[in-house]
Amino acid sequence: MKRLLQVFLGVLTAIGGFVDIGDLVANALVGARFGMSLAWVVLVGVVGICLFAEMSGRVAAVTGRGTFDLVRERLGVRAGLLNLVASMLVTFLTLAAELGGVALAIELATSVNYLLFVPLVAFLVWFVIWRMPFEHMERAFGLLGLALVVFAVAFWKLGPDWGSMLHQASHPAVPDGEGHPTYWYYAIALFGAAMTPYEVFFFSSGAVEEGWTKKDLMIERINVYLGFPLGGLLSIAIAGCTWLVFMPAGVEVDHLDQVALPVALAAGKVGLAFVIVGFVAATFGAALETGLSTGYSIAQYLGWSWGKSVAPVRAARFHAVVLVAIVLGAMLILTTVDPIMVTEYSIVFSAVALPLTYFPILVVANDPGYMGEAVNSRLTNALGTAYLGLLTVVSLAAIPLMVATKAGQ
Amino acid sequence: MRGSDVIGLPVLGRGGRVLGKVLDVRLVQDGPLRGAYAALRVDALVVGRHTVAAHLGYDRARVNGPWLVNAVVNALTRGNGLLPWDEAEIADGVVRCERDALDPVPPI
Amino acid sequence: MMAGRVLDLALHLLDRQIIDTDGNPVGNVDDVEIDESGYVEALLVGPQAVAGRLGGRLGEWLAFWTRVLQGGTEPTRIPVDLLTDLGSHITVARSRTELGAHRNEDRAREYLIGRIPGGRREGE
Repeated sequence: MKRLLQVFLGVLTAIGGFVDIGDLVANALVGARFGMSLAWVVLVGVVGICLFAEMSGRVAAVTGRGTFDLVRERLGVRAGLLNLVASMLVTFLTLAAELGGVALAIELATSVNYLLFVPLVAFLVWFVIWRMPFEHMERAFGLLGLALVVFAVAFWKLGPDWGSMLHQASHPAVPDGEGHPTYWYYAIALFGAAMTPYEVFFFSSGAVEEGWTKKDLMIERINVYLGFPLGGLLSIAIAGCTWLVFMPAGVEVDHLDQVALPVALAAGKVGLAFVIVGFVAATFGAALETGLSTGYSIAQYLGWSWGKSVAPVRAARFHAVVLVAIVLGAMLILTTVDPIMVTEYSIVFSAVALPLTYFPILVVANDPGYMGEAVNSRLTNALGTAYLGLLTVVSLAAIPLMVATKAGQ
Repeated sequence: MRGSDVIGLPVLGRGGRVLGKVLDVRLVQDGPLRGAYAALRVDALVVGRHTVAAHLGYDRARVNGPWLVNAVVNALTRGNGLLPWDEAEIADGVVRCERDALDPVPPI
Repeated sequence: MMAGRVLDLALHLLDRQIIDTDGNPVGNVDDVEIDESGYVEALLVGPQAVAGRLGGRLGEWLAFWTRVLQGGTEPTRIPVDLLTDLGSHITVARSRTELGAHRNEDRAREYLIGRIPGGRREGE
């Protein structure tokens, strides 16, 4: 019975923790401009993240090492350093975007300019990392993030034409008024939002923090295979809401309050309250994860002691990096650059960095010296190779498309 | 001398022909007893052209999947060769030997 | 002559994790010290050793910042006599405090983390 509860909570945490500011912005934007014609990208992204999260969790449980430890071991010091720098930059950008997201969500609730909240948010993010035990942190923000389920409720209440919706989703076509390059640019952005590198660093480092062993793998798989797809459905629901409300009016979504509007229309003030709680929880939780991930990646590459479960003075350099990253992220947002724009850049650059992140995991997951019998199955390898090919194509196409479409204009 | 001082050095054979770069150092554990183990002795240099493939483990250790990666890495490392340590002369950041070609690298 | 176990430096030794006698991670094998007769003398651990691996300007840059932020120009040195296991990770017969691997945390600890309330408690 206790096991069942643990599994149940684990799945809920995974669902609530799936969505971050990148998913919110990307799906809301895409829904308003492209309707359901890009829903398939979310599905492809979800399958991908399930595949690699399971792999990296399994590797962490069996070897006791996080992703970046193994990146350096497999790619060598120089290629590993390139990987580290690219990943840290992308994760840092994402951290800044999440901090901005929390501040924007609070602005939504209070009508006070978001910039005033940035220092407070940064302090709170740091403080939670500093003091809150790892598992409690994950669970609390994951469960609170479930408030975003209100988007699914709102979608239902807004009364979509299910037939037309399914048709649009299953027969993807570029809508009138949009060009092919823009369509593919947003496909890449959506994909990058679903498969962000930090999720895998965090997931595998978290597995080491929580001391997973082979016995925990079954639960881990259930969390991933149930939680992430349901989280993906939630993302699609967000796109669905903006589709129904904004597309007929031809309005583009570029502010967070617009993302909340469909819920307010369908579910009134109660719905809006849920949305705000959900926004804050999702972005705050992701800020915690990205903050920790900047520390995890550099600490694992250089071989420092790392982790929340280690006494802070024993992992002083790790904590120093996390602190500095949060401060710099807050400073970036305080330059008044548009947080939504920072988010868009972070997800596109995530797409560029993806093959670098996943390739070493694929290799280590195949090493019998480390994994023993837990090496990849043929199916996992076939899917893994296919995805690696896809990720390489996406990575190469991302920047040219960004330039060609002027970041999706 | 450090391991990093040797790895990456260019390797020149007889007449200065380029044989590749030092990718790895082959060690044999047959020295006098040091602590719990026999000492590790430098036996040979693994020489080749592609450094990135050197650490993955497909050519010399037991990593075999996925199939495509295995095939690509094996193609890249096919030309690797082994240079016995006693034939190697290291000077001025270059490894020199009197060989035209190197023997293939036996996997471990 | 009895055939000994064969292993490759970069493939099997370098960048592997080192675990101390209490099961705690010490760091990675960042480099090794080889004596004139061709025997591996010691494992080298720490950003100073990573700087040597990187080489060139990159390595000098890392060495500089390590000197500034951590102090010290020499990596932690673990003599080969202390090795007890050479598998997918390396085990040594001392605790990490005895090996001195933690002195690298000193500056960050003294100037920053140790001064924040709660810094000196146990981890969670």
